[in-house]
Amino acid sequence: MEKKQKFNVYLQVYKMQIIRSLTYKFDVYGNIIMQSIIMLASAFFWKALYGGNDSVSGVSVDNMLVYTVVSSMISVVLTTNVERRVTGSVSKGTIAIDMMRPVDIYKVFLAENLAGGTALVFQNLIPIFIIGSVLIKFPKPASAVAFVLFLVSLFLAFWINWFLALTFSMLAFKVINMDSLIQVKKHLIRLLSGSIIPIWFFPASLRAVLECLPFVYLYQFPLNLYIGKYDTHTLIKGFIVQAVWIVIFVAVFCIMKKRIEKKIMIQGG
Amino acid sequence: MKNAFKELIHYLDVTRAYIKMAFLSIIEYPSAIIGWLLSNPIQFIVGFATIRFVVEEFGSINGWNYGQLAFLYGLSVISHALSMIFFIQGWFLGFYVIEGEFDRFLTRPLSVVYQFLFTQVNIFGLTDLIPGIIVFIYGCIKVSFSFSIKNIALILIMLIGATLIRGGIYIILGSSSFWTRSANDFGQYTQEIFDKTTMYPISMYPESLQFILTYIIPIGWVSFYPISDMLGISRVGGISGLASVITLAVGIVVMIIAAFIFRIGLKKYESAGN
Repeated sequence: MEKKQKFNVYLQVYKMQIIRSLTYKFDVYGNIIMQSIIMLASAFFWKALYGGNDSVSGVSVDNMLVYTVVSSMISVVLTTNVERRVTGSVSKGTIAIDMMRPVDIYKVFLAENLAGGTALVFQNLIPIFIIGSVLIKFPKPASAVAFVLFLVSLFLAFWINWFLALTFSMLAFKVINMDSLIQVKKHLIRLLSGSIIPIWFFPASLRAVLECLPFVYLYQFPLNLYIGKYDTHTLIKGFIVQAVWIVIFVAVFCIMKKRIEKKIMIQGG
Repeated sequence: MKNAFKELIHYLDVTRAYIKMAFLSIIEYPSAIIGWLLSNPIQFIVGFATIRFVVEEFGSINGWNYGQLAFLYGLSVISHALSMIFFIQGWFLGFYVIEGEFDRFLTRPLSVVYQFLFTQVNIFGLTDLIPGIIVFIYGCIKVSFSFSIKNIALILIMLIGATLIRGGIYIILGSSSFWTRSANDFGQYTQEIFDKTTMYPISMYPESLQFILTYIIPIGWVSFYPISDMLGISRVGGISGLASVITLAVGIVVMIIAAFIFRIGLKKYESAGN
């Protein structure tokens, strides 16, 4: 197939998935309400903790509230479903047919994911932004430069998240029950990425370890840039580590993919 | 009267068989239980560690010290685990509606609510109990909790009530699927909200929210009120032990409401297919 034709195929997948995401209205309202409650609870949590203190660990209450709102918004951008998609495909046995098709199945997954994300921007991100701005605090970035840097790091975070999820989903070919592993990954990201509790509250030794792992580069690093908690040194280091993790996950993914494709061919006889 | 008794014995018999089946399923998939044995404890131990870091930074959370928070966290995880064992089905109610799974239940001579809850006793929920008990024991040592007969009875009463409140809320949320016809899976969100409201003292939230959590969505009774009573932080109505009893009563009421909503919803149920 020609390159352009192929691109049209992915575009079609993208459109289809968006339409699919718009089917259930109630889910959308339910998600917005639930996420808003969680965001509000976090905001109250920090307000209560700070009490009369203006700043703890060098971070003010206001920054912490901005952090909470933006963290909720990032979680929308970093939503992936590829693990469940691959697991479903493997356990139903449709993966062999999926792979035989003249399109790259992983690009189809990516198109689906991007479509899901696009739908979520309108269904979740914008409502959360409005609710957060009205009820908690308008999430104003520290400066224009900080905002641009934030967008760049969020773009990189998206790809870390995507390739991490894709690499992880390759395990579905080896493990029968993925549910518990998906949970482990979800909780590790939730607690170690700084999405709920920023890692500057963690002990220094643990922080040093976390700064080498990919999780903090999904939430904490972009958020630090957003609220202006960075200097040239941490900035450059952060971007380098983000890039390194993308390269690592792409490499691991390619190796696993090759090995698994061989295995499937053998099974097919 | 005799018939009712016979029926009860029959239900108990079936329950025993279901629980036995659940245990057998562990032997069927040993790798699954290992997965859950890793994932659930990791979740709560890391969760508890983060509370520790926060407390170290801020000193205390709304006047609750570290030991008291451990006590609260431990009991909260234990009631979470119990609700996962018996009522996790509520999270998946939407899928039952979409896939037409209730057909099977409706044709059997047992209560549908009962079958729905017990056909798959989620034995993997036991893995949640482990971190809960560890943190609870740790909290008991820290606050030097005395295990008198009264205290043990209060804890048990409170746990039953808390489990019923959680389970009832799962079922009420899940029952929305009967009307919306979609598999709205709010499990993760529900858990996050429960985490925020049962693992920390709700007295830290604004009064309006406390009011909601006490009277409208009675999550406050899951852990906050009975435990502040046990630890002597505050007493409901000035009588020690009253809070645990109220928790049990609230649990029963929530469960009755849930069963009622479930039944109305079931009338709306149409099988899947074309």
